[in-house]
Parts: sequence; structure tokens; C-alpha cells
Amino acid sequence: MGAAAAAAGLAPAVSSPFVSTALAQAKTLKILQWSHFVPQYDKWFDGFATEWGKKNGFTVTVDHIPHLELPARAAAEVSAGAGHDIFAFNGSGGPHLYEKHVVDLSSLVSEVEKKQGKVQQIGRQIAYNEGTKVWSALPAYYISFPGLYRKDLWDEIGMNPDTWEDIRVGGAKLKAKGTPIGIGLGHSVDPNLSYRSMLWSYGASECDETGKRVTLNSKETLEVVKLVRAVYKDAMEPEVLSWDDASNNRYLAAGRGSWIHNPISAYRSIQKSSPELADKIYVWKTPAGPVRRLACGAPNSYVVWRFARNKDTAIEFLRYWTGNWVAVFEASTGYNHPLFENSVPKPMPILSNDPTSHPADKLQVLETVNEWHATYGYPGPAGPASDEVADNFILVDMMAKAATDKATPEEAVAWAQKEIELIYRKWSAA
Amino acid sequence: MSVIAQAAAPRRLARSRFTFDRLEVLGPLFIMPAILYVVVLVGLPFLLALYYSVSAYSIFNPSYTFVGLKNFREVIDSEIFRRTLANTLIFTISAQIIGLLLGKIGAMLLMQEFPGRRLARALIVLPWAVPVSLATLAWVWMFDSLYSVINWTLVAAGLIDAAHRPQWLGQEDLAMIAVAVVHAWRLFPFGVVIFLAGFTSVPQDVLDAATIDGAGFWRRNYQIILPIIAPIIMIAVIFGTVFTFTDLSVVYLLTKGGPINSTQVLGTLAFQVGILSGDVAHGAAICLFLFPFLLVAVILLLRSLRRREI
Repeated sequence: MGAAAAAAGLAPAVSSPFVSTALAQAKTLKILQWSHFVPQYDKWFDGFATEWGKKNGFTVTVDHIPHLELPARAAAEVSAGAGHDIFAFNGSGGPHLYEKHVVDLSSLVSEVEKKQGKVQQIGRQIAYNEGTKVWSALPAYYISFPGLYRKDLWDEIGMNPDTWEDIRVGGAKLKAKGTPIGIGLGHSVDPNLSYRSMLWSYGASECDETGKRVTLNSKETLEVVKLVRAVYKDAMEPEVLSWDDASNNRYLAAGRGSWIHNPISAYRSIQKSSPELADKIYVWKTPAGPVRRLACGAPNSYVVWRFARNKDTAIEFLRYWTGNWVAVFEASTGYNHPLFENSVPKPMPILSNDPTSHPADKLQVLETVNEWHATYGYPGPAGPASDEVADNFILVDMMAKAATDKATPEEAVAWAQKEIELIYRKWSAA
Repeated sequence: MSVIAQAAAPRRLARSRFTFDRLEVLGPLFIMPAILYVVVLVGLPFLLALYYSVSAYSIFNPSYTFVGLKNFREVIDSEIFRRTLANTLIFTISAQIIGLLLGKIGAMLLMQEFPGRRLARALIVLPWAVPVSLATLAWVWMFDSLYSVINWTLVAAGLIDAAHRPQWLGQEDLAMIAVAVVHAWRLFPFGVVIFLAGFTSVPQDVLDAATIDGAGFWRRNYQIILPIIAPIIMIAVIFGTVFTFTDLSVVYLLTKGGPINSTQVLGTLAFQVGILSGDVAHGAAICLFLFPFLLVAVILLLRSLRRREI
């Protein structure tokens, strides 16, 4: 009896670690997202999530890792069947590839649509599978790709960087004056976005509307490749071949560059490091081509893993996050662009009147970004194939081959068409 | 009861002592953890890679379908892969040559007495000890297109014109040299240690006799020391080749395989396809191209080693 009583007495002590773990699991929400290029957004988000947790009796932890490490982390979490509850994807790859490992968020998306208006095309491309009718992610936001330019230098040559042809002609004039333009041609994310923007603006694309047929080898693509070759030779320095995603920011910050194709994070960092220079930097739309003006935005989305311990809590948090979109936008200093029509009403805060910019309406043009942005896979949906084309930098290498005379424009396009066909064929069989 | 127990204990101890004294028992027992380690961490992933490479397995469709050698055929069909294969060989061979050369020079210097030799030894081990990510990021800055300290020095010394400064990570040939040099820099402390061990194993009387017979520095080096320490250099070459052939960190951090895939190696391509793009099957097939090359390299080197021992 005594032994039995002792055992009974010990039981809570023995099981307490398990009990407390179970309780902790029930009351914890784990989020993983990238280290934002606007660091104050991370601070705001962490506080926002923690506050929400406190109000609702949850412990919320937010981990941040560099955006380039996200795909490997996602693969690791899926292989282990454990990790975070909410996972934020950034850039190419993500919701489509992991569709079978994530919770269908269709009801959350339609709920948000009812409150904040229709999801924009880019949001659909990011997260919706037209075949399976599944929303594998909540379209979170996208990073726009305008042009950042030195107004003083462009004024000197009496031009505005409004079209890709302006970039070629004006860039050549400015290079002759010692201040070239710069679009990376190395293996990094920015060139993937810039050269897609260029192709689309000229009516070219890697695939058709179905997202299945490769359509790169066209006269429009050839025209763009020839243009890039001319821009490289006449308006840029060979250093663009070695650039990473931060190089063009440094190029502008150093006072050498006269135009770069980049999100406003470059401008924001220059505002801090060199306010006088920042005043000379202006923002304008992505350059237009003869067919349209269309830039490739970097998609961001939230998925909830199927193996998440707290799926309902995760969805509840995402619902709350989307309900605070204006705050999200302000915290990111106008960097995170909304994907639902009415998330941020116009005139948009910060963009319409940014007290840190001189003049204060310098960023106003970004209110129109939804009119001139799409993302990977355009004009079709994004998918594992279009993501792999981006991951392998095939379009960037096509441009670089022709620019550096390693191949004629025709050879470069034929090479890229073949490589992309191999990838699309492979994934269509998957 | 207790008496019997006390008597039995030493007998058991003696028997176990006898058992552990036997080489056929102790040997396998000691080698077992190493074998387990290799089987679990190398053997199983290798078998898993074989299994995936003949399937259509991907993160998008994580179900097993046998496809035979289709993945290998598709991989070979890609020009990017063929270039990657050639790059991997160039990267491995050049990093080995540079690493061994630096290793030999470093070891020869450290054999000499000079003030601060201990500090020099500690510094030489540094590339081995510093985390690869940190070290490579320092190299990224040294090769930076705008702020390269190498270019700044060359311009300041009047050796190059600022307008035509080399783009270390942007020009195809220079980018390959850059990644090979950085990898050799990581390898060379290992080379120094190997050469130092080799040098100290050369009998002094042989060297003294050669010196008396009139052999100079070069002759002593290449006709006496090098043949004697050749087996140990072979070991360094085997390890270095394996480490370099399978490495992806330096290339990934410096160039991500660019520009125009001029520095793409099998490790980075397999990572790109298998992990980033989620095509595990093709990623595994790319990885497996490492295997025959490494197998042939190791067999050739081990054979050469055995011949020298005879």
C-alpha cells in the first residue's frame, strides 16, 4: 500500500515534463519568415505577434532567417514532419511545390476577399492552383520592382528613364559621363526579376497562359536579348556579371550608378547612410516596352504546414494579420505591397506623403504598382517548373551569354529554350 | 549467500578481462562505432540517393515511381550539367595543385627557425578553423566589384588601370580561379600539416649523406625528400580530392555557380535542383555522378600508394 501510495505520489512528478510539454504545445504558435530588408518591419511584426499571443493566451515565437535559406529550411521541415506552424515563402518556389504538404487556405482567402476586395492576379499566381482549385497559401504581399534613378544626372542629359529604350540611350550617355546604369547579370535574385520584366514588356515570355508550353524562342525574345546586349556594352560596366542582390544598392549608394532596377529598400538604406544623396534619388515605374509596362514582383506568402501542431491557431493569426493591413504597410515603410484590392485605401499612407522623402510625394508613383506587376510564370500561373527556371538562372544566363559574346543572340535563345523545355517536360510528367 | 557472491564476482571479472584481452574481440569492438558511423551517415544516404535517382520522387509529388535510368539521361541531356561536370574536374584539380603547392611552401618555411614561428603556425591553421561561411564572406568582400581590396592595392601600386580592373567573380576564367584559390586557401593548412609530418619523417642521416655528396637544395628536395614522403602526399591528395569534389560551400557563397554557370559544380547544381527546386530524383542523379569519379580517383591513388610501399 505504502509503495502504491508512493508511486501515486510520484506520478505527477514523473509525468509533469510530458504534461507541461503538451500544454506548451497547445499554447504555442511558431512562425518562420525571412529577415526583412526593412529591419523595422521585423521589429514591428515580432511585437505585433507577441501582443496577439498575450491577448489570446498563446506564446508566439517568430524566427527570422535570410531569404535565400528559406527553400532549404522548408525542405528540412517537410522531411522531418516538424518545425514551425506558419512558414513564410519569399521569392520563387514555395506554395506550388509544397501543395501536398500544406493546409488548403481557400476559406481564409475567400474570407479576406469579402472584407478587402478581390485578390490581384499576382496573388493568384503565387498561391492558387487552377488545376486542383487549391489555395495552398495566403498571398501575403509582393515586393515591387520600380526603377531608382539619379534625377540630377538624368536631368543633365535631358531624359527620363521611362522606357527600356530610354534606359539604353540614356544609359549610354550617362556611362560616357562616368555614371553607368546597372542591372545584375550574375546568379542572384534581382536579375531574375529584371530580365523577366524586360521580356514581358516586349511581349515575350518563357511559357504561354497554360503554364505548360514553352514559348521563349520568339522574335520578341530575340529583340530583348539584342537590347540587353546593347545595354550591357553601351550603358553598363562588366562588373554587373559578378553582382549579388546587394551590389546594385551599393553601386547607387557609392554615387557611381545612375539607374538601377530595384525595390525601394536601396533608397531606404541610402536615406540612412547618405541623406543628401537620397534626395537626388527618385523612383519611377518599371520601364515600359513596346507592348506593355510590366515588372516581375517578388512574391511572399504564408503557408500552414499539414504537420503543424496548431493549425487553427495559425489560421486565426493569419486572419488577424490580414485585418491589420494598413499597419503592415506602414511598418514596412511602403515596401510590402498588398495583394487584395482594398487592403490599403488610396491615397496610401507613406507613399502619398512620406515625411522622410524630399519631396514628400517622391514615392507616390508606387500607388499604381498593382497595374504594372506580375510574377514568375506570367502569363500563366507560377509552378515548380517556372520556379526551377528561376532557380537555375536560365533567363539571366541567356542574357549574359549574348551580352558577353559567348553566343549570338539567336544561339543564346535557342540554348535557353532547350534548357527550359527539359525542365517543363520533366515537371509535366511529375 | 554473500560469500558465494563475493567469490563469483572476481571470476566473472577475470573471464571478461580475458575476453577483452583477445584482439579478435577488442578490434571489432573498437572499430564498430566507426563502422556504424559510416553506415548510418554515409552508407544509408548513398543507398537513399540510389533509390531516389531511379524514381520520379519530388517534393511536389512525394510518391515513389520507378523510372529506370530516365533521370540520368535527362541530366546528361542538359548542357548546364555537362559544363558543370567539366567545371567540377577543373575546380578539383586546380584547388589541389594550388593547395599542395601552398602547403609545401608553408611547411618548408615552418621547418626553419625564425622569430614568431609559433604565431605563424597558429595563423596557418586559421583557414582550417574559421567557419567557412565567415571566411568566404570575407573573400566575397575582397573580390567585390566596387570595394575589392585586391583591386585597390593593384591600382594603388600602379599595376593595373582603375578603368580595367579585373572582375574577380564576374569574368568566367577569373571566377573559376577565384573559387579554386579560396578553396585551396581552406585546404592548405591540411597540406602544411601533412608536409610537416612528412618532412620530419625523413631520416636526417640520409639528408646529411646527400649534402656531403654535394646534393643542393633542389636535388635534396626533389630526389630525396619528395620520393620518401610521396605516400603521405598521396593521402593528402585523396582527402583533398574528396573534400573538393564534394564541396559546395565556397562556390555557393561566392558565385552561386555564375557567371553563366562558369563556376557551377556538381554539389551546387545538385543542391539547386534537388533542394531549391524540390526535384529530389534529378538532384540525386546529379549527385551520383560524383561517385564514379571519386571511386576511380581513390582506386588509382591507393594502387599507386601500395606500389610505392612495395
